[in-house]
Parts: sequence; structure tokens; C-alpha cells
Amino acid sequence: MENSNKLSQFISRFTSTEIEGLLPMAGMARTFLLENDFPTTRVERFKYTRLAKLANAQFESSDEKSVSDFRKHQICSDAIAIFIVNGKVHLPETSLPTGLAIDYINSAQSLPSSSVKDVFAGMNILYAQSGVCVHVAKNTVINSVIEIIHVCTGSYAGFTRNFVSIGEHAQAKVVLTYASEATNECFSHVHTSIEVGKQAHVNVEKIQMESSEMYSFSDEEIWQEADSVFQINTLTLDGNLVRNDLHIQVQGEHAETHLNGMYMLNAQQHVANYTTVDHQVPNCESHELYKGIMDDKSVAVFNGKVFVRKDAQVTNAYQSNANVLISDDASINSKPELEIYADDVKCSHGSTTGQLDDEAIFYLRARGLSEKSAKQLMLTAFMSDVLDKITIPEVKAKVSKIINQRFNWELEL
Amino acid sequence: MAGYTENELAQDLENQEYKFGFVTDIESDTVPIGLNEDIIRLISEKKEEPEWLLEYRLKAFAIWKEMTEPEWAHVHYNKPDFQAIAYYSAPKQTKKYESWDDVDPEMKETMKKLGISMEEQQRLTGVAVDFVMDSVSVATSFKEKLGELGVIFCSFSDAVQNHPDLVKKYMGSVVPMTDNFYAALNAAVFTDGSFCYIPKGVRCPMELSTYFRINAGGTGQFERTLVVADEGSYVSYLEGCTAPQRDENQLHAAVVELIAMDHAEIKYSTVQNWYPGDKEGKGGVFNFVTKRGMCHTHAKISWTQVETGSAVTWKYPSCVLKGDYSIGEFYSVAVTNNYQQADTGTKMIHLGKNTRSTIISKGISAGKSQNSYRGLVQINKSAQNARNFSQCDSLLMTDECGAHTFPYIECKNPTAKIEHEATTSKIGEDQLFYCMQRGISEEKAISLIVNGYCKEVLNQLPMEFAVEAQKLLAISLEGSVG
Repeated sequence: MENSNKLSQFISRFTSTEIEGLLPMAGMARTFLLENDFPTTRVERFKYTRLAKLANAQFESSDEKSVSDFRKHQICSDAIAIFIVNGKVHLPETSLPTGLAIDYINSAQSLPSSSVKDVFAGMNILYAQSGVCVHVAKNTVINSVIEIIHVCTGSYAGFTRNFVSIGEHAQAKVVLTYASEATNECFSHVHTSIEVGKQAHVNVEKIQMESSEMYSFSDEEIWQEADSVFQINTLTLDGNLVRNDLHIQVQGEHAETHLNGMYMLNAQQHVANYTTVDHQVPNCESHELYKGIMDDKSVAVFNGKVFVRKDAQVTNAYQSNANVLISDDASINSKPELEIYADDVKCSHGSTTGQLDDEAIFYLRARGLSEKSAKQLMLTAFMSDVLDKITIPEVKAKVSKIINQRFNWELEL
Repeated sequence: MAGYTENELAQDLENQEYKFGFVTDIESDTVPIGLNEDIIRLISEKKEEPEWLLEYRLKAFAIWKEMTEPEWAHVHYNKPDFQAIAYYSAPKQTKKYESWDDVDPEMKETMKKLGISMEEQQRLTGVAVDFVMDSVSVATSFKEKLGELGVIFCSFSDAVQNHPDLVKKYMGSVVPMTDNFYAALNAAVFTDGSFCYIPKGVRCPMELSTYFRINAGGTGQFERTLVVADEGSYVSYLEGCTAPQRDENQLHAAVVELIAMDHAEIKYSTVQNWYPGDKEGKGGVFNFVTKRGMCHTHAKISWTQVETGSAVTWKYPSCVLKGDYSIGEFYSVAVTNNYQQADTGTKMIHLGKNTRSTIISKGISAGKSQNSYRGLVQINKSAQNARNFSQCDSLLMTDECGAHTFPYIECKNPTAKIEHEATTSKIGEDQLFYCMQRGISEEKAISLIVNGYCKEVLNQLPMEFAVEAQKLLAISLEGSVG
């Protein structure tokens, strides 16, 4: 009973959602919350994530600030930028290209029914206060980047819900930026539903660089139609406790999915990446590549699941996770899973954990590089294949720059 | 048979009936069904056990009562009713035989059907067999020869009577009674099993082997095996299981503990062929086994298993690599057919420096079965330069079965090198084509591919066992192996 008190205590600070599209899911979410306690490490999904501190954290709402104060967090200078500051949505002031509609989430008639895998996802359905709704009409190519910038300040706590729908044969590039100016413990949970229409091409860059006070939870659920191509890069560069939950439902044949991830941790950071690729129909392929470098006392968790349903014949699903530990106290927990119910498939996963090769470092040092530079070169090379997956140049440059700053590296990437 | 296709192979697999289904008609001495302190006292009394062991059992029972059954495994079954099982069943003639000729002819017949006729064994193979038939050892051979070297190989109850200090010292040291639900149950009600002690520096000259058989209807079997290899010794231990056909589900919850002292090596091989249930998934054995080995400095423990039977398998032979430079190995072939469910794998716990572990797991799913690999590789902070390599492959034979992989990799030391890879596929059309293009018939090609697929594991089995394992694989995948 103690735990369920914890959960209800945690919930008590939030007010119920007024987003109409969420109401049909409320029953399911409420049932889940009634049946589950505030997660402890005994819950499989939270086996490696300690949340006791979050349960006892104090939050309070802070003063409103004008959007211009947060422009600095925007990565793509020409992007159509949407700011969500402490859960408050600021729609772009510029005019939008034809075929693109951006509005508050409350305007959506209905929202896709998302899955509830943990209590936080359930709470999001019941307590989300705001969010944005992005719609790209069919047969439209949006050349500008659509950037949704989430910023938390003070000691904010709240749930945000976004919905992105890309019509048939449309193309779009979306950047999800997570930044924070938290002064105290801060909690944010953002859910983003993304519908990818037939033959649509969607590219999402999710870049996280939050402060050491943040409890940052975010989940994305994606529904992919036939012949679509979807790529998401999850780039975690800073934060305190970060949990990413990516769920891809492949519902149309000949769809192609790419999931890449990069996590670079130091201090006492905790980053958990949970991914699920659910192949429901035949003739699809998915590629997953996650790489991480852990320094100091950081802890990383990777849990990747490839699920191939009975009818999803001729599925090709590949998953790979590689980790480097560069300090004595860092740790990694990797769990690549395959759950396969169809026989005509090619699925594989690989997971490696290791350290930098001493001989290679010696080789570089013998050629005049300092030890630090040699290590940096090796680590950069290690990360480069994920870095190369980033398709938006400004994001790529930003990521390189942050890595350099964070690790105080000498060479320019 | 030239046109033998994969579909036909699948068909054959489905129609495959259990070939070892028969009941030996021997009067059994069975205690009343149910589980309570009195039953435990009764078992202990029947086995003329010392007081400390009874206390151990009662303590385990108290712990077990507080525990709940684990549900995390990827298997679905009707939970056994623990009050509907008779916890002790011994063949009536409990007196020890003076010579081989005294053994009940019917029992000899049983052994013949199992393909382990004693005469044959004694004369030809030099394998000492501790034959467990419904929990009580009835014949032990080669005892003298082993005795000369100081090797103790006897039933667990004999060990309790004759070597209580050794049993007391090592029992529960690797798998404590608090370990899990079934380990606690076993600690409370275990009836017999095998005990093996190899003294310092002795290389056991023959493969030690025990055949387990569930016999009387409605009795669960709860063996306990304890193998202690003292410093610098070597032993290869074989365990084989075949159970006769039964309609109700039978519970098998064994505990196996291995202790490899400094520089010792234990090779533990299992061929498991409990009754898997019929084509409709009715009946079959529940196999919930806890197996774990403790490796001290420079020691090596190698688990090899060929799992073809049981309706539900829940088994994770593990190695605790406590000593520096110790080595753990796990080689497994798991075949599931019809409605069988297997959730099996291993745990490699790296504690010592420069420890190494290798995991090779091959799953074959046919019919409507579900086959899961679940493993843990844990590198603790103290385990400098630990090394692990894991490979888990799954082969799918039909479109109604499932193959799953759930590996856990936990690393807390930056000097560790861990590699894990897994693949899932069916027999490749291109592989088949390649073989057939070179004049190999389709049937032969399938057999070639399946054989090659399992070879890595079968190669690890001792000669005597490899033959039986191949026989079993052939039976389980009849038509494909030739």
C-alpha cells in the first residue's frame, strides 16, 4: 500500500487533462494506474532505473517568460519553430507553407490511441495539459525543418502531448529539441504520436541536452503505413535522468524503418533507451543502431525489442548496440530482444561492450598525438556511423560541437 | 523421398509421437499426496536421515511457503497443484542388490528400452551408472574402481549416511534454499539424487553417468545433484532423462550444484527427453530446474545440454566465476515441437579477474512450440579483463512456432569485453539451393544444414553421450537427420 500512496501522492499535484482527443483512452490509462504502483526496480521496465528521488521531489510552477528568451535553444535557424515552455505552447509566428497546419493539440478531433506501457505513459493520457498538433497534407513536401523545442525552467513538472501526422506521399523533417533551464528538480514527460502515411518519408531528429536537474521522460509512438520510410535519431547528449521510449508499429507492407541512437554520458547521468519495433505485416525491414559512451559514474540502459508477428513473413530486422565504458565506475545494461512468431524472417541482433584498444592508442601516440587526442579520435570514430545518420547539417554540427564541449576535446570533429 | 520438402519435414515433426512412452509395472512405495510438515518428516524418516537434514528441509519448507511462483518466463501453463502431488515414491524392493543378477528383470527391461543395458554398459563402455528410478538408487556400478582413486560417486541418500560432513559443507552453498521458488521446494522435499566428490588432483578415469526416470504416476521428482571437484581434479558428468508417457502434467524440480575448486574442471552434460506431451499439447513434464556451478581460481565449468523433451522447460544452468582466471561455458541445443514451451539459457556471473565465458545456444522450433533463450551476462566491478562471447541462434521450422531471445547484459567494469549476437531465420532457400545444385537431395540438404547448425554443441558432448544425443535429435526431427 505504501507504493500506491506514493503514486497517488505523485499524481495529486497534476490537474486532469482537458484535451478532448485523450478522453477515449482515459479509461484504459486509469485502469493501468489503479493496477500499478509507482515503479521500483522490481518492475522489469524500471529494473535499472531508481526513481525514489523523483517520487519525493518537490515541484512548483514558475513565472511565465517570453519566448524570445528561449530562442537560443533553437538549433535550425530557418526552421518553423514551435516552443513549448513549461508545457505552454507558442505557435510559430511566421506564415506556414501550403499544406502544413500547426495548431494546439486541443484542436485535434481525435488522437491515435497510444499504448500504456508504464505509469508515466498512463499519467500522460490523464494529465497532459498541452501540446502541439502538426499536420502535413498529402502530396506535400515541406522543405523547411519543423522544430519543436521543449524547454523546462525553474522546478516545473508536467505532461505534454504532441501529435504529428504526415499525409500520403508527403515528406517532412522534424526536429524534437529538449533543453532546460531548470534551477531545481524538474520533471517533464512528453508523448509524441507520429502517423506516417502511405509512401511518406519522415525524418525525425530528437536531440536532448537538458540540465542536471531534469527528470526527462519522453515517448514516441509511430504508426507506419505501406511503402513509407521513417527514420528517427535519438541523440542524448546531456541530462540527469533520461528515459526514451520509442514504439514503432509497422502496419503497412514494404515499409522501411531506421532507428539510430547515440548516448554520451558523464557524471551521474542515467539514460535509458527502450525501443520496440512491432512488425505486423509482411515484407518490411527495420534497422536499428544504438551506440553509447559512458564516463564517470553514469549508467546507461538499452532495451531494444524486435517483435515479428505471425503474419509478418519476409521481415528483415537488424539491431545493433555497441558501448564503450571509459571510466571504472560507469556501467551499461543492454538487453536486445527478439520475439519472433513468423518463420520466413531474417532477424539478428548484436551487442558489444568494450573499451578502447590500448594498441591502437599506442599507435596514435607513437605518431605524436597526446593521449587525450588519441582517445578522442578513437571515440569519434566509434560514434561516427551514428553521426553520419544525421541528415540535417545544422543538427549534425550542433551535436559535434556539444560533444567537443562536454568532453573538453582538443580536436575539431 | 527425393522430393522431401521443408513442409513435409514440418508435417513429420508434427506427427512425431513420443517413443519412450511406457510404464514399468513395479509396485511403488508412495507417501500420501500433499505437502505439509508431516509429509516432510515422513520422507526424512523413511530415508533414515540425520536430524540436521530434517531441520534443513523444514526451514526450506517454511521459506517456500512464503514464496510465490515466478511468472516472468515466456511460458504459459496451468500451475501445478502442489497439494496434489505425492512427494515420495520408491520402488518397493528397497534392499540393495548383491549382484547385477539380483536386479528385478522388469527393471532390466526398462533400462534396455532406454538403451542403457547395464551388462552392455559395464562390458563395453566403462561408464559407471547410478540409476535413479523414482528417486531411489537401485544399482551402482564401478564403485570399487572409483573407490581406489578416492572418488565418491553414490546416491545422495548414501552420501548423507556415509559422508555427512561433505554433504553438510557443500549442500546449498551454490543454490541456497532461498534462491527461488522451485529451489526452496526441492530443498524441502528432495528424495534422492547423486553425489560426487573427486579428491585433489584426481582425473576421474571414466564418465560418471546417471539416468533419471519419472515412473510411478502422480509423483513429482525432486532430485538433488551435488558434484564437488577438489583442487586440480577433473570430472565429466553425464545426466540423461527419459520419462514414460503420462496424461497429467508431472512436475520435475531438480537442483544441481557444482563446485569446482582451484584448478579443477567439471564437464556436465545433459540429455533431457522427458515426455513432451502429445500432439494436442496434453500432458507432458514440467521441467523447472535450478542448476548452478561455482568456479574457484583457474577452475572451469562447462555445461552442455541437449533439450528435446518436456512440455514446459524453465532451466538456466549458470556459472558463478568467483575465482580469478576461471572459465564458464554453456553449450545448448533446445528443440521444441508441437505445443512444447522452452525458456532456457544461462547466467554467467563474472566476479573474479580475467574470467572468461562462452555461450553457444541453438534453438530449433517446430510445430506450434515456443522456444526462448534467456540469458544473463553480468560483469561485476571486481571482474577486471572479463571476456564474454555469446551466440544465440534460432531456427524456425513452421510459421506457427515462435523463437525468442532475451539476453541481459550488465557491465560494471570498463575493461570487460562482451560480445553478443543472435540470429533468427528459417533454413535459407539459398542454402538449400546451393546444396541441391551440387547434387544433394533436398532431404539430405535439410539434414546437412540442421546437423551443421547443431554441430558446435554436439561436438562438446562426450562420445558415449553424443551418440544418444544424435539419436534423440534424429527422433525429434525425424526425416531430416539421416
